[in-house]
Amino acid sequence: MAQVRFDKVRKAFGAAVAVEGLDLVIEDGAFVSLLGPSGCGKTTTLRMLAGLEFPTSGTIAIGDRIVNDVAPGKRDIAMVFQSYALYPHMSVGENIAYPLKKHGVAKAEREEKVAQVARTLQLEHLLARKPRQLSGGQQQRVALGRALVRDPQVFLLDEPLSNLDAKLRAHMRAELIELHRRVGRTFVYVTHDQLEAMTMSDKIAVMRDGVLQQYAPPKEVYDRPANMFVAGFIGTPPMNFLSGEMTGEPGRAAFRCAGTDLPVSLAGGASPERKVALGVRPEDVSLGSGPFTGTVRLVEPTGHETIVVVESPAGSLVTRAGADVALAIGERVPFDLEAERLHLFCAASEARLLASFTRSGAPAQA
Amino acid sequence: MTATTITGSAAAGAPRGSALDRRYAMLGLVLIAPSVMIFCMVIVYPLVSAIYLSLFSIYTPTLQGDFVGLDNYATLMASGEFWRSLLNTVIWTVCTLTLQIVFGIAVALVLHQNMAFRALARSLILFPYFVSTVVAVLVWRWLFNDLYGILNHMMMWAGLVDMPLDYLGSMPNAMISVVIVGAWKYFPFVVIAVLARLQTIPEPLYEAAKIDGAGPIARFFDVTLPQLRDVLVVIILLRAIWDFKEFDLIFLLTGGGPLISTQTLPLMVYKDAFGLNDMGRASAVAVTMMLVMLVFMIAYLRLTGREEKEAAQ
Repeated sequence: MAQVRFDKVRKAFGAAVAVEGLDLVIEDGAFVSLLGPSGCGKTTTLRMLAGLEFPTSGTIAIGDRIVNDVAPGKRDIAMVFQSYALYPHMSVGENIAYPLKKHGVAKAEREEKVAQVARTLQLEHLLARKPRQLSGGQQQRVALGRALVRDPQVFLLDEPLSNLDAKLRAHMRAELIELHRRVGRTFVYVTHDQLEAMTMSDKIAVMRDGVLQQYAPPKEVYDRPANMFVAGFIGTPPMNFLSGEMTGEPGRAAFRCAGTDLPVSLAGGASPERKVALGVRPEDVSLGSGPFTGTVRLVEPTGHETIVVVESPAGSLVTRAGADVALAIGERVPFDLEAERLHLFCAASEARLLASFTRSGAPAQA
Repeated sequence: MTATTITGSAAAGAPRGSALDRRYAMLGLVLIAPSVMIFCMVIVYPLVSAIYLSLFSIYTPTLQGDFVGLDNYATLMASGEFWRSLLNTVIWTVCTLTLQIVFGIAVALVLHQNMAFRALARSLILFPYFVSTVVAVLVWRWLFNDLYGILNHMMMWAGLVDMPLDYLGSMPNAMISVVIVGAWKYFPFVVIAVLARLQTIPEPLYEAAKIDGAGPIARFFDVTLPQLRDVLVVIILLRAIWDFKEFDLIFLLTGGGPLISTQTLPLMVYKDAFGLNDMGRASAVAVTMMLVMLVFMIAYLRLTGREEKEAAQ
């Protein structure tokens, strides 16, 4: 049982607050990503869990044990560092065996476990080499091996793939998913790469400026972002925001954008905020027909699709079109928004408003 | 890299080497010539000259003498004083070097910590290394003085001894004193070199070791020390050479005494050349000293080089 629990955790470095009021429960055996831009507090959170930083206040528990005062080596965790942090003077085998040695495991058992881990990670032929003789991907696997060999309750991974090239990264993503499935332990994974978070995690904790923004499964984070930050951070290209205002009265409200009213129903009959932002994912804009028109500013064919930037009276829109779309820069193009997949945010608080849009004018339920 | 390619092709004497290639090669020769000439003047000439002189029996004031072949060396090998001086040199070098390394690393570790007045402490620690040997030795002789030295005064005040100790005039006190003053004078060199290396050891290595369950002592032996290895090889090599031929500190502190108890080979060279006016024998000692050092250094470099090669494989 290795549920990880953060309870009102705060971490300040002098006047700078790195993590503020973090409440987070990571279920036993889950793969959870801490996602956010640089300086959002995700690495500090992980380091507090590892015991490399100490919370200013609040408690951290692994399983039933509060670990605030437990030394890193006694927390039954293993960590993979961004730089791998392999001991340069030790061979691959010695690196993997090191945590066992420090925990007093007998030599014969050590060797057996190292061999087993090496087999799992296909490192058998490299055991006698030194880390500097290995490629980035191999070093990565050794670092994983050093974590695996202890069979810890919780694996902590601090941007482990960020030093690899794109192809290897994709490969290692798949390996990590497979590894997690096989060992069935709790994985806490820090990344700024939303693709890694989306593809690998059971749940994503999106952080910003030390504050947890949303903690939900990847699909929910994508489909129902809690606020404009999450909405803009997840997805490539990012979500478009159109500013506009709500018109009408509660229950029969509409979002007025570029002269066109989109009927919207706000949940619970709440009175509409006057200033709102409409979030539109690039794939939810269809070019070619619709009530809106814009001018093509940029056409970026990527091979399997084409990214088209359209300038409309309501603002600039990044859209996704088919690979064979034929549009010229400067061309006027009509477009439509997929009403069922639009997001409405309060412009002031940036929080998601429970709303649903309808095409017909008859408001739908949230 | 470009220079390597150019000189490489020029050295190979490629017949189709362009005029530019040859001009660059010529420029290389011109640039290297002054160094080669100075090297010959200050290293090769004295070396050859010493070897040459060691084959003569020479009266120092006139530099006149007769060719005696290897007689000087034969006399040396048979002389107890030579062997005693060699032993002293080895004792002095090994002891003072060990102290320098141990204290140097210890102080570097302390100065590597985040602490108040770290910058000031780092500058102050260099003081013994900066201070002139003559000044340092005079101060130490004063401290060591058996009649009015503060060291004896404090020892007696603390009740550690009943009578003043003779630090420089009796054995083994004299050797211990020399070794300690040598360690005090030269450990800052170790501190600076080790400190510089300590600052480049990646922090994640320590963090990984912490998570792997290594305590502070295990982290020192498993992370710090292996990372210091390369710099220690160089420090030990340099300091061993310098300590082996140390003259002024020992000469000023004890003059080799009592009798020849702290007389090292450089002091013997000096005594033979200018005390006994036997430049030939002095040269023979100097040449022998060089050979001993050469043997040690080759053995040392072979040993560390082999470990390195094994480490690389």
